Amino acid sequence: MAEQISPDLGFVKDVIAGGGESLKKCFQCATCSVVCNLTPDDKPFPRKEMIYAQWGLKDKLFPNPDIWLCHQCSDCTAYCPRGAKPGEVLNAVRKLSIENYSVPRFLGKAVGSPGSLVPLLAIPTVIFFIILASLGHLNLDAIRNEAGKIAYSSLLKSYYIDGVFVPIFLFAVVSLAIGVSRYWKDMIRATGIKPKGSILDAITSTIGEILAHKRFEKCNVTIDRKLAHMLVFFSFIGLAITTAWAVTYLYGYEIMHAMGKTPYPWLLGPSPYPLTDPVKWLGNISALALLIGITLVISNRKKNTEKAGKGGYYDWLFIYIVFAIMATGILAELVRLADIAILAYVIYFAHLVVVFFLFAYAPFSKMAHMVYRATAMVFAKATERDVQS
Amino acid sequence: MEKKIGVYICTDCEIGKALDIDQLVKVATKMKAPVVKTHPSLCQKEGVDFIKKDMAAEGVNAVIIAACSLRVNYDVFDLGIPLVERVNLREGVVWSHPPNDEETQMMAEDYIRMGILKMQKMEAPEPYKVEDLCKNVLVVGGGLAGITAANEAAKAGYDVYLVEKGDSLGGWMAKLYKQTPTKPPYTDLEDPFINDLIKEIQQNPKIKVYTSSLIEKIDGAPGLYDVTIKQNGNVETFRAGAIVSASGTIPYDVTKIDHLGFGKYPNVITNYMMEELASKGQIVRPSDGKSVASVAFILCAGQRDENYLPYCSATCCIESLKQAKYVRNQDPEAKVYIFYRDMRTPGHYEYFYKSMQNDPGVFLTKGDVKGVLEDGNKNLNIEVENTLLGEKIVVNADLVVLATGMVPVSGLGEEVLPPGVKPEDEFQPYVMIEADILNLGYRQGGELPVISNGYPDSNFICFPYETRRTGIYAAGTVRAPMDITSTIEDATGAALKAIQCIESSIRGEAVHPRAGDISYADFFMQKCTQCKRCTEECPFGAINEDEKANPIYSPTRCRRCAICLGACPERIISFKNYSVDMIGNMVKNIEVPEEEEKPRAIVFACENDAYPALDMVGISRLQYTPFVRVVPLRCAGSMNLVWVADALSKGIDGILILGCEYGEDYQCHMATGSHLAKIRLSKVAETLDRLKLESGRVQMEQISISEYYKLPEVLDSFLEKLKGFGPNPYKGF
Repeated sequence: MAEQISPDLGFVKDVIAGGGESLKKCFQCATCSVVCNLTPDDKPFPRKEMIYAQWGLKDKLFPNPDIWLCHQCSDCTAYCPRGAKPGEVLNAVRKLSIENYSVPRFLGKAVGSPGSLVPLLAIPTVIFFIILASLGHLNLDAIRNEAGKIAYSSLLKSYYIDGVFVPIFLFAVVSLAIGVSRYWKDMIRATGIKPKGSILDAITSTIGEILAHKRFEKCNVTIDRKLAHMLVFFSFIGLAITTAWAVTYLYGYEIMHAMGKTPYPWLLGPSPYPLTDPVKWLGNISALALLIGITLVISNRKKNTEKAGKGGYYDWLFIYIVFAIMATGILAELVRLADIAILAYVIYFAHLVVVFFLFAYAPFSKMAHMVYRATAMVFAKATERDVQS
Repeated sequence: MEKKIGVYICTDCEIGKALDIDQLVKVATKMKAPVVKTHPSLCQKEGVDFIKKDMAAEGVNAVIIAACSLRVNYDVFDLGIPLVERVNLREGVVWSHPPNDEETQMMAEDYIRMGILKMQKMEAPEPYKVEDLCKNVLVVGGGLAGITAANEAAKAGYDVYLVEKGDSLGGWMAKLYKQTPTKPPYTDLEDPFINDLIKEIQQNPKIKVYTSSLIEKIDGAPGLYDVTIKQNGNVETFRAGAIVSASGTIPYDVTKIDHLGFGKYPNVITNYMMEELASKGQIVRPSDGKSVASVAFILCAGQRDENYLPYCSATCCIESLKQAKYVRNQDPEAKVYIFYRDMRTPGHYEYFYKSMQNDPGVFLTKGDVKGVLEDGNKNLNIEVENTLLGEKIVVNADLVVLATGMVPVSGLGEEVLPPGVKPEDEFQPYVMIEADILNLGYRQGGELPVISNGYPDSNFICFPYETRRTGIYAAGTVRAPMDITSTIEDATGAALKAIQCIESSIRGEAVHPRAGDISYADFFMQKCTQCKRCTEECPFGAINEDEKANPIYSPTRCRRCAICLGACPERIISFKNYSVDMIGNMVKNIEVPEEEEKPRAIVFACENDAYPALDMVGISRLQYTPFVRVVPLRCAGSMNLVWVADALSKGIDGILILGCEYGEDYQCHMATGSHLAKIRLSKVAETLDRLKLESGRVQMEQISISEYYKLPEVLDSFLEKLKGFGPNPYKGF
């Protein structure tokens, strides 16, 4: 049966604007699919994705696990005889896919467009400024803890921070969950394949692969990305544990205190904590790993620009936000130790803003790749559409 | 003037080391050559001076140079006299046979003997000159090709008559809205420049333009064409020296392509109609006059398809891309679909293709269009299979444009069989379609012989500009499908060929491919039996007939291939320096040893491909049997069967003819020469049977110069075959 095809010219223009400006250069020689080490042999990508994108057939792209099985090694881009950069094009398609499934939609659009950067940054800035102003904590120089030291917990009690971050974290989780479940249903609808076998097995296998960064090993042109991505990935995990640890120190202490018990001595209470404490070790090591990791990400991208393409706004926004989190985090600690109060608090404030940015916009930014790609990998495994390893 | 022969044997290039030169001198002396000399290197200045000194001091006026092949150093050995003959001792003997060997020596001696015999029979040719040959050029057709040819010929100083059927000049190009880019960056459409060209020729006093005119008749030959035209009922005559036929094409009749809906649905149009629409200012649907929002272009519509036009019309890809740009320029939100079989945009067109490909609103895919159907809104649903999108798809569009191919006007008309040829005959000397363009007064029909699909035969390897009529050059799309740039080049080339023909005719020289040959055929009419062989077999229509079937020969039409010489059973046709008697004598004077283990075979080699191929064998130092004696022929088709009889009766064991490829994709410089040779040979078989000789002793092979490496095997295995037959029983008689 012949299929009625209705190209969407607007989508073509969106792909071009979203970093896939080389899209239309493709003349379908399929060199890309031949050099790709990540594609399954049956109906390989990215050749077919290139013409779907050229023809504006978004309904063939969004519910397609293949766009996420691509890890943008850029081997295709390096070998493309026409300079069509399939890696960049698929990246732009993924961006539009995240936007397509995002809830609410307007945030999806906003995160992807440079024009909305200022308002997006303004939201956390205004929120935290209002909190500080209402607490009367604008006299930064005078803010000290009981020991007379600079203490970020004195600037903003953790209740305020958690009062902001816990809701936005929940918002992000819910938003992502809705987006991903829409994606999952869409994949089943479009492929017409119901996952067979155990989804749990597919999930376990996917997590194992992600932790080991197995797919990155198959890349040729951008093989260096494995180390960079691993450093960023595990430092995030390290920082997440650090956060949980610090929460335990603080709320454990407070809860025991509130219950009228003497808190255990190892529950240190409000920060700052001494550098000798293991939570500081983990935090600082993770911060250093993130410093190295994100710096490598940037330098790898710069180094590979010629072969792999320069990357779009969407990618660089995410990279720079991570870099800013790392930089403000490390500087906040260093300047605090150097006892320069105003600077320390200003940097800390900036740190809160960028962390907010990362969390609140995670379902709409490149951060969401973590979840969408993992979902696609699970789907591919469950439907036996997976590359032979 | 008394002929005084001088034989000069060169000992350079290993000749001196490989052969007994003294013995060669003795052979030549025995043949009564008055001057026989050797020289260490004849092609050097000293060598040439050495010969010239004899010419001056001893009155030598017929020079035989026994050295390298006639294919090399012909300029060095241009001694300013007509009688210079070359004996090929280098490529033909010492480079392709073992040195200081008895058989090699015998070969060289035979060649010396044959060279001297040839020279003894040769007469100095004199050019055929006619007074007051006309230098004007007739250009038929006033499209881009005709206008260009007229302009170029006029610029070179020749008067031109341009005859156009329509009432205005410019042809198809004048109907274009825009033309494809000709300047960097090759991405912007340009206004057609045809109007400037029309103005240019209208203002040129050397060009006389006849519009609304048809050619009634063209009589005569190059330099002597009498042209009769009819303009609005008035008959006019003038004389022309050469003709450029630039009569162009018409669009293929797309109503024949049922499944594409043309003629059935108003919104299916051709690329020609699209130009008209665009020229009117806005591209609208024919059905309702609404501006188009989506247009589908179907490329190769009825082209490259055995059911319709089997060939590619060369311009449709780029023209369709151009028309896609019309649509996109008109409405930036419009969608253009292009369904192609192969995107053929060579050269600078690639830049335009890329720029159109880069347009977000242009959707390209390879695919086979299976059908076009109209929906309720008079939109079209185009069904396409094998697309790059991976499946069978249907696309809806407001308008469908079919890329319609070109049909040469030379192919429009009834096909008539050549006189004496039946439809079932295996050999069809030419195809004549009465297209009513030139109306030539030639025995072989009024138009240019055509090859496949109605295009005038203009062999792409052997004679790209020529037709099978000397002095008449097809140019532009009537010759082959081509684009604007190629048409300009083609028409310029044709104008130059026309001029070359006129000038060569004035000098009494052959035009092509034996350019500069001043010999021409001489008919000994007293013995003519009016058998019509020559008039029928001449591939170039050079021989007309009078009412009594006597041949009437036109030297300026003639290409000097001597196929007539080979055809004539009465042997009445000869050239001063190439005759039945001359070759026959050479053949008869080859020394035939009686020993069974020393067979002899004659190789008649076409000078155009086979002979140079044999030279290549020598240059490559490949070795072949020394039992062959090579006789170069102007064309395999000039082989007269009497030579076969001469050779066999002399005791020669076999005869091998090396001609060019014949048949559909022939590569014969003389069009049908090698095929005619094959046909003549097939008739020899009966004669051989009568003589109780094996018919396999006579064989023909088709060889092209690039296949030279096959020749040693061809020659050696022929000799092996002859061994199997045993010696010619006539040996020693």
